[in-house]
Amino acid sequence: MEKKRLYWRICCIAAIFLCILTFTPLVIPQGIATPELAGVPYSLWTSFIITVLLVVLTYIGTRVHPGMQNEEEDV
Amino acid sequence: MIFWVWVFGLIYAGLLVFASLKSYKKNRSSEEFMMAGSNIGLTLGVLTFAAALFSTFTFLGMPDFFRINGVGAWIFLAVSDGAMVFLLLWFGYHIRNKVKGMEFRGVSGLITRCYENKLAGYVFFLSAFLFLIPYVGIQIQGIAIFMDAAFPGSFPAWGWSAGIVLIMLVYSEIGGLKAIIFSDAIQGLLLLAVIWIIGWACLNHFGGIGPMFDKIGTVQEDLLSTPGPQGLLTPQFLIASLIAILMIPVTQPQFTTRIVVMKSMKTMQLMAVSLGAFAILVILPTIFIGMYGADLYSEYGRDEFFANAFLYDQPDAVAALAIIGLIAAGLSTTNAQIFALGSELRGLLRGNESSIMRNTKIGIFVFSVIAFFFSIIVFDQLVLLARVSFAGTGIMGPMIILGILSDRKVSPAIIYLSLVGLIVFLSSLAGFIPDMYFGLRLDLLLFIILGLVAVISHLTGKKLQLISPEKDQ
Repeated sequence: MEKKRLYWRICCIAAIFLCILTFTPLVIPQGIATPELAGVPYSLWTSFIITVLLVVLTYIGTRVHPGMQNEEEDV
Repeated sequence: MIFWVWVFGLIYAGLLVFASLKSYKKNRSSEEFMMAGSNIGLTLGVLTFAAALFSTFTFLGMPDFFRINGVGAWIFLAVSDGAMVFLLLWFGYHIRNKVKGMEFRGVSGLITRCYENKLAGYVFFLSAFLFLIPYVGIQIQGIAIFMDAAFPGSFPAWGWSAGIVLIMLVYSEIGGLKAIIFSDAIQGLLLLAVIWIIGWACLNHFGGIGPMFDKIGTVQEDLLSTPGPQGLLTPQFLIASLIAILMIPVTQPQFTTRIVVMKSMKTMQLMAVSLGAFAILVILPTIFIGMYGADLYSEYGRDEFFANAFLYDQPDAVAALAIIGLIAAGLSTTNAQIFALGSELRGLLRGNESSIMRNTKIGIFVFSVIAFFFSIIVFDQLVLLARVSFAGTGIMGPMIILGILSDRKVSPAIIYLSLVGLIVFLSSLAGFIPDMYFGLRLDLLLFIILGLVAVISHLTGKKLQLISPEKDQ
């Protein structure tokens, strides 16, 4: 249970970190479209990866959310 | 094209009738009518949440937003949706725990109970009413514009709007929330299929993703980076949008209801993940349509772009599918919103169950009529009006989260300040006061202030202590 709580916290911190990262010049340098990845402009491919990572984090969250443990115990 | 519209239209109408009749039950309780028996499985849950979320705002608005503002539009919606599904996991757990063992009568009813203060429910209802109705109106208008382009001169725009409102009222009246959820499932799948068919056709126009961005670079290079040609997508605008979209499951009652009526906590959590994947799948093809518009129709207005990209440039069958897909997208979101407003009204009404149900249905009818009138008079960019709607209801976010999460007796100050925040935001929309202060957008400033007030209210709140038996003795 304690481990789950820790993993859940790590997921939350990672999600907040990704959101903050999105609004830095690391992802949205103003007026710059390079370097491209397979022809896709820089801000688009980096933010696409961030979106996918957020969904993956949500999936991990469903596995480690401490509330699931409680519900199993309730049952 | 008319032939294909009839074919797809009849199939779609048949499915809607089937959904309504399948959900219809004589002598059903108000709980069954308003909350679908609180027993929604994963697939239906994902599709109904997605159909309520991705509306004409996504179908028409996002291609137009990409066309005008470029690739940063992905961050505006997709990154924000990715973060929203993570928040959904966290908030869904807490709200489901909060309503466990009690009858859920909308966020207004819940928040009234949390604060033991009726004003909290009324303030929330007011914000939902003020910001959902224009949003519903502009979606109905979006469909009417599109239908007018498809069948010029056959009906006036208001005639199409009236027809849409009528269909919405009839099938929600017959089947209640369950019919809406079934039809959402049909509409969610239809929306996904249609947006990909058109998106794929637009991508083929360029010959691939790389050539598409190469071409756009020669047409308008600013579209390939933020803040875009109009300078709109600044970090501040995107942060404020992220917060507004994050608050959607918390403050837009049609989504909160869907979280609560999911069969179990696990189903709700898996729904959040699937919704994230669905969001990526739905938003991706809108980039292709937007870039297509930027290449061919950059000088055109909104309506001409829609008519050309979705109708005139497509084969007849695809154009007909686009019409039906758009009706599906608009109808699913608007009826979810109107029904949710009815559900919120129900949470505030007192009296016996049959009179509450009667008044709720009258309320749903009245909201639909008001939305119909808005659809005739409102004119704005779909995406920007949707964003205002998210931000407007988002102002209530700190009050709702504090009420649901705090285990302390908190001060009612947050209720009054949320009301003040709402009035200030409305005043800025009306142009009475500026929308920037100290270099910050007003909506962002309101989120920060109300968020801080919520934290302070919690920290200074009186701890609720159960008197232990030992102390009692």
